[in-house]
Parts: sequence; C-alpha cells; structure tokens
Amino acid sequence: MGNNPKRLTRRDFIRGTVGATLAVSVLGVPWAKGSAEAGRPSIVTVVRDKNVMDAGFKVDSELLKNMLDQTVLRLTGKDKIQEAWAQLIKPDDIVGLVPTPHLNPTHPELVDVVKMSLLETVGVAEKNIIMAQGGKRKPGRCTALICMPALKGHWLTGIGTVVKNYIMYSGRPSRYHAEKSAKLGEIWLIPEVKGKTRLVLVDALHPLCDKGPQPDPRYKWAYNGLLAGTDPVAVETVCLRILTQKRHALRGEPWPISPPPICVEAADKAYGLGTSEMEKIKIVHSGWDEDLLLG
Amino acid sequence: MTGLSSKTASSLAAIVIILSLWEGISAEMNVKTVDLPKTIGVWTRSDSARIIDASNIFDYMNGAGELYLAYGFDRLEVYKYTASDQQEGILVEVYVMKTSNDAFGLLSMDWGGEPVAIHPLPSAQTNPTVALPTRALYGGGLLRLWADAIYARVMAYRETPESRNAVLALGQKIAADRNSPPEPEILNILSQTMDSGWRLRKDRIGYFRSHLVLNSLYYLSHQNILNLDHSTEAVTAAYENISVAGTAKSVQVLFVRYATPEKALKALNDFHNAYLQDQQKGLDPGVTQKYTNFVKIEDGWLGYNLNGTDLGIVFECPNRESAQIIINHISRNAVSKEKDHGK
Repeated sequence: MGNNPKRLTRRDFIRGTVGATLAVSVLGVPWAKGSAEAGRPSIVTVVRDKNVMDAGFKVDSELLKNMLDQTVLRLTGKDKIQEAWAQLIKPDDIVGLVPTPHLNPTHPELVDVVKMSLLETVGVAEKNIIMAQGGKRKPGRCTALICMPALKGHWLTGIGTVVKNYIMYSGRPSRYHAEKSAKLGEIWLIPEVKGKTRLVLVDALHPLCDKGPQPDPRYKWAYNGLLAGTDPVAVETVCLRILTQKRHALRGEPWPISPPPICVEAADKAYGLGTSEMEKIKIVHSGWDEDLLLG
Repeated sequence: MTGLSSKTASSLAAIVIILSLWEGISAEMNVKTVDLPKTIGVWTRSDSARIIDASNIFDYMNGAGELYLAYGFDRLEVYKYTASDQQEGILVEVYVMKTSNDAFGLLSMDWGGEPVAIHPLPSAQTNPTVALPTRALYGGGLLRLWADAIYARVMAYRETPESRNAVLALGQKIAADRNSPPEPEILNILSQTMDSGWRLRKDRIGYFRSHLVLNSLYYLSHQNILNLDHSTEAVTAAYENISVAGTAKSVQVLFVRYATPEKALKALNDFHNAYLQDQQKGLDPGVTQKYTNFVKIEDGWLGYNLNGTDLGIVFECPNRESAQIIINHISRNAVSKEKDHGK
C-alpha cells in the first residue's frame, strides 16, 4: 500500500468490491464471514397500527402495548404472551433498555410499555430494569439488553438506527466517522455488550428518511410501526429497505441513501452479527398494510 | 527575574480584572445576533439564548455538529418558544457562519420545500441567480433561511396555521435589516443549459467545503480524496438530458477551487490515485497547471480539467463527447468569470 492506500469509493459499490476494499483499508478483519445459519432465515417482524398515533402524532399507549405484544408473539411464534417474553428475557435478568436519547428520540411511550411488560409479564424486578444508554459501564451491569433505537436516516453514516445505537459504549464515538463507520459493528463485540442483546425493537412510529439526526418534518412520516428481531443486522436491513423506498416515493425518482451505509453490510460480513441479505430474512408483517414500503 | 512590587502587582491585577470583566461584557453584548420578540402569538421565549460554539456543539447535537463545522461555523444561538395552551413549542436555531457563502451552503444542501419571502429588500428576490431564486424554504413546520452570514432553522414541533404564521414571522425578524449578498460566485461556472440538451437541475446545486457534505449530496468516497478543506470552495450539480432516447439521463458536475495551483494539482493527483487507480498510475509528471482527461469507468465517462487553482470533474456521462462538452463548458465559464473578475 505504501503511499497509495486503497480508498473506498463510489466505484467499489458499482463493482461489488466494498468488502475487499474495507478489509484492506479499515477493518483489519476478513470480510465475508457472515453469520446467518444455513437454512434458518432471520425473522423480522413489522407490526403496524393505523391509529397508534393521532393527527398530532400523539401516541396511544394502549394500542402501542398491543403492538408490542403482537411483536413478541410473532417473533417467538408462541401463543401466549408470557411464554413469548420468557423466550427472550428471564425474571432474574438485569435488563438494560437502550433507546435513542435525543434528536428524533425513541418515543418514551415505547420505553414505558416495554418496562410495563418486563415488570408485569416477565416479572423482572423494577430495580433490575436499567436505562442503559451511555457509557459502557451501563451494559456491563446488565445480563440482557433491549436495543430500542428510533428509525432514522443519518447524514454521516447513511442510517443511524440499530448498529449505531451502541456507539456511546465505545467511549469515543468520533472514532466511527466517515469510512470508519464500517467498524460500528465491533462495538457489539466488546465484553460489556457481546451476546447480551435479546431483542432489537425499532421505533418506526414516526421515522425520518433524510437529513437525520436533526429533525426535519418534511422527511418524517407516520409509518406507525414497530420492527423487531433478534438479528440486529437483519432488522437494520429491513429498516434500510423502508427508508430507501420512502425516499424514492417522496421524490418520484431514485434517491439513494447517501453516503451508502457501510456499517450494515460490515456488521454482517466482517463482524458476524447477523445477515444483511434480504433473501435470508423472513419478514412477518401484521396490521396496517398501506404504504408498507417493503415491496 | 526580579519580582514586582506589591503595589505594581496589585495595579496590574486590577487592570487584568477590569479588562476581563470588560471582555465578558463585550462578549455578552456582541453575542446576541438577532432581536427576536419575547412573545409571538401564543408563544413566549426564554429570556436568553443558549449559545453553542465549536467546543460544545456535540453536546447539543451529537452526530449532526459535523455538518456545521464542515462550513465556516462561528456559533449557534438557540431560542425556545413555549406556549401555555395546547400548542407545542417552536425552536429557533440561528447559525452564525463566518461568511455568507457558508450560510448559503447550508441552505443549498436541500432545495425542497415551499419558497417563501422573508427578506424586506426586493433585490434579494429579483437579482438573477444560478440556483433557485429563494432564500427561505418552508415545509412541514420547518423554515430554513439564508440571510447574509446567517443560516437559520425555525421549527414548530407541530404544524398548525398559527404555528406556520409564527414561524414565518420569526424568519422575517431574523432576516430583517440584513444584507443580501449574492450567491457564491463559484456557481457562475454552471451554465443553465449546454449543447446537446443538457439542462441544469437548479434544485440539485450544492455548495460546500468538505467531503462529508459532498458525500451527502453525491457520494464519491468515504475518504477525502479531493483534499477538501475550509480553504477550498466547491459546487456540485446535476445536469439532465431528456432528449436521449426519451428518458432522462443525469450527469454530475463537480467543481473545486483550491487556494493555490499546487493544492489543486496535488488534489487531482490524489483523486487520480484513489478513483482511477486502474488507469495510469498517478498523473503524468509533466502535468503542471493545465490538464484535461477523459476515461471510461463502470458508470459512464468521466472527464476532468485542471486549470490553475480550478479542478472540474464530470461523472456518469453517456459518452466521451458529452463529457467533453460539459468539461469544456465548465472550463470556459471558469476562465471567463476569472477574466471578468480581473477587470
């Protein structure tokens, strides 16, 4: 490489050489590891309710609780909500909730209904439910994490939802800018975090498809949905599909996410956190199906 | 080192304290950029603005501060209007930029929205422009405006007819009594139309100084392969040709003006090594200040022209001829504008 190091460019995306370029320039780990188990697609649930927000975007917590129940039932394939939650969280777990704290934050109503479910349905003690966004000491105390970002595009990384949601655990978020955003997946592998994420629950009630993280109401819309899964990369991949299709619909012409969100594929191919390939993802949808944006 | 007498030291200390106090008072006096009304409609603002500078912008907007630092950013003044009734609040963010061009650049990142008149001086709306002739855009409760060296975002958390009126009135207040400098001169390299039917997309013109902003407008590389920094200014724009087989074909123009010819040459060399590394390795050592080249890559023909401090590049052209036409246009415009400027 010498004085002419390999740079990731537009041409890599056209040629399909993103992984090879990133592997030699930034990641320091081999590409194409992948993590999806053969023959077992990752399940991502999309549960929507047309009435969960009113015209002023106020959230109906009762309907939201129903959506959460549907999410957990469909994700686990169980018939009873207690059994469904039991597959994800144990009563003696110390559960860290990791919402997006500001700039298009996770709705507090969602945090509340998740807490309520943990308390009343799972039987987790209140003292063992921790708001765990922030430094890495917080997940260090937890035995289970629920990753709860809000769905939004991000002007620096393309998307700022699931994979980026643990960035504060790195202690140095500025280390994950530009090309190095490809390394965001490594934060999921630090000892305080690794293997603890039992549920990825994306607040897609009122997403933002451009100019994030600063709010811009022109690019926010009432999707009225919750997306969930246990594979963070699969959930993020479905999030990307929704954002991309919304952008195309808004402009009436192709409007790709820019810069391309390299952290998602890297989370799959370099860090083995899940699958970024749509054909390996099974989307389970229920509820309102207008403008689903998953065609 | 001889010590100061206690009397002299006391006097000096007193002077230092007075100067510090005066500096503090001056800073306080100078820091307020806009004179916003205490109440507007049903909304009342906090007594003082929250002042954000480069040192604490990430505390205010983690993940978004880089956008403003990518331009010449001085400070941000934040006002919050609240209402006692059912109405939600209004957020006023006044970004004080180092130049009018920097403020224009922020507006140019997105030409979407409804153009609104916020400036009392008619010249602001009537002078011919290369970009869209608007200095303020409204949509969904958010007003974005450019007024001299100020870029402002005024956002109602919930859009209602009342909040729209208040937001627009606040925008007018911010723009009041401010100059209306023309758009950045570098935009003049962009012809409205070019031979063979190429037409400028006015709603796709972006002015910037950083590769981070370029990547948001037109992705080129996650790394700074054109060596952009605050000493450079650049514009990118799309041109569309609807006469090719009845469907719209778009190409992307990028034009960068560097501080020195040496910087421009180095940037072209670095671009060549990063983006065209399968072509000849680096530039011909004989290249000094003028060079034009056309190459075919995966997404079409790419052409570039180096001329002194100026580097023009066009991407995604359907053929070599169109790349030549566009590069020639840009180069001619750049030279003629420089001559005009020199008169």
